Amino acid sequence: MDPILSSARDEEAGALAATGSSREVILRVERLGYAYLPGRFAIRNLEFEVGRGEVFGLLGRNGAGKTTTVRVLTTLLPPTEGTAILFGKDLRRCGRSERARLGVVLQAESLDFVSVERNLTLYAFLWGVPREVAKSRAEEMLELFELGEVRGRKPWGLSGGERRRFQVARELMHEMELLFLDEPTVGLDALTRKRILEYLARRARHGLSIIFTTHILQEADLLCHRIGVLQNGRLRAHGPPAEIKRKYRGARTVEAEFERALTAPEQHDLLAVLTREGRGFVPAAVDDSSIVFRADNAEDLVAAISRWAHGLDLEVERISVREATLEEAFVNLVTDDASSDPAGRAELA
Amino acid sequence: MKVPPVLRLVVRNFVANLDPITLLVMFGQPAFLIVILGTMFNQLIGTVGASGSYIAFLVPGMIASQMITGAVLAGRVFWLDRRWAMVEQIFSGPYLRAEYLAALLLTALLFSLVGVGIMVLVALPLVGIPGLTPVELGVILGTIALGSLFFGGLLIAIGGRIRSANLYFTIQSLLQYFLIFISTVYYPVSGKTPAVLRAIVYANPLTYAANTVRDAFTHRFGPGDLVAGAILASLAAVAFGLAVASFRTLELGPVQ
Repeated sequence: MDPILSSARDEEAGALAATGSSREVILRVERLGYAYLPGRFAIRNLEFEVGRGEVFGLLGRNGAGKTTTVRVLTTLLPPTEGTAILFGKDLRRCGRSERARLGVVLQAESLDFVSVERNLTLYAFLWGVPREVAKSRAEEMLELFELGEVRGRKPWGLSGGERRRFQVARELMHEMELLFLDEPTVGLDALTRKRILEYLARRARHGLSIIFTTHILQEADLLCHRIGVLQNGRLRAHGPPAEIKRKYRGARTVEAEFERALTAPEQHDLLAVLTREGRGFVPAAVDDSSIVFRADNAEDLVAAISRWAHGLDLEVERISVREATLEEAFVNLVTDDASSDPAGRAELA
Repeated sequence: MKVPPVLRLVVRNFVANLDPITLLVMFGQPAFLIVILGTMFNQLIGTVGASGSYIAFLVPGMIASQMITGAVLAGRVFWLDRRWAMVEQIFSGPYLRAEYLAALLLTALLFSLVGVGIMVLVALPLVGIPGLTPVELGVILGTIALGSLFFGGLLIAIGGRIRSANLYFTIQSLLQYFLIFISTVYYPVSGKTPAVLRAIVYANPLTYAANTVRDAFTHRFGPGDLVAGAILASLAAVAFGLAVASFRTLELGPVQ
């Protein structure tokens, strides 16, 4: 995880939490639902808020409802139940003036049949950006998104990664207060992803709110102040990444190393203690002087190892519990839901 | 200077989406027909009604048919916007659906007028400068405008209901050729024309447009043309209504 990006994010998350009621909410989603056929809901009962300068990540498996949520919130689809309050106005009554404050990078590639550079300036023209501003901003975007060398090429002649960069770059040609990014980093290499995420984090620090859907959970962990996990069209969990990880972390990995090699009876005894006191205990690797295992109650077992070692007058040289990643929490969350909610989407109807 | 949204979209329609080769083919084909078809048939055909020579008969017809060229180009812009998700991109921005539709129809009209200009330029060395009165010029431009609105509205209404490029372009080509060939653009209708064919030709709005433009060119504009104009205006209103209905229920999302 990028330490600079994540620490900046964590500081902001703290600041956002600290401001409490003074936080300016620019989007409040209230029991929002969309049915593509009567009774067949793609999303249902969604509830979350996005504050100014906040990055909200929407996570979920394919078909979970992320893109539908973005399409409803950008007024491309009308909600069939519930609503959202966007910039203080009911979503159903939002029009040009509210949409003029949005930026939208859709999952589907959109382009005009002119060069990359002309696409940028033409799009700026559509948004009423003055010509001189558009020209200088296009230069900035071409450089930032490393599109300078292909500025004269038509977008369909670009590689997949270049096209995705072009999509994001084009949307950033105009001013906005809330940016929707539907899987903006698909097909991008790690360095480019990092560059774009850093840029977005910087924009968020200057007050841009972002709703971001992704399959790459590390990205969400890096960038988002809060995340929501969609499963079968419902929001199963939402909150800061740290809270989601803590709540749904499941089993964690513990590594312990002793000052000397354990005898076979000692190893046997240690495993017996851990099996008795552990919940979901699964040994991963046991050798003469160390043990690696996974367990749901990792902290309890750390204490149990210390007590056991103390009883033998054995010194524990190193013991650590690896923090759960967002990916692990996500897998636990959606796996739990899948097993407890086998009806899946049909249950929504 | 703040450009109104509809004009911004029209400028964008002209700048984007259409490559020079497409424009050359779309406008070059009727120009080529005036020169080649007109010259060749002129040798075979003596006089055609009040127009005189066949080429003088053909030119007003080709001018009237530009309403179809303009509409086809606008329909193509709309379809490419759907195919390349620009419709969604524009609808999620500071534009109303009505503005996008108005811009498409205005694009159709402007393309038609560009086509008219090109046809006139091509025809000038062949038939000379027609001495049109301001009223006759107004009648010609008004007819082209109504025709563009009719055919543009029709194509947009169809394009909004179809989710396959192959099907859309097949229907568009079929309509284009049907309307042009079963009309009075290339040939007159007389008492010798088979009754069924005559009925179809007179059911075709392009016939009214071609006859009206031709009457204006030969200074024979009369009450019959007013009726034709009223019929064309009614059809244009119906096509516009269909386009609006199609836009209201336009399903966004991927198309093939």
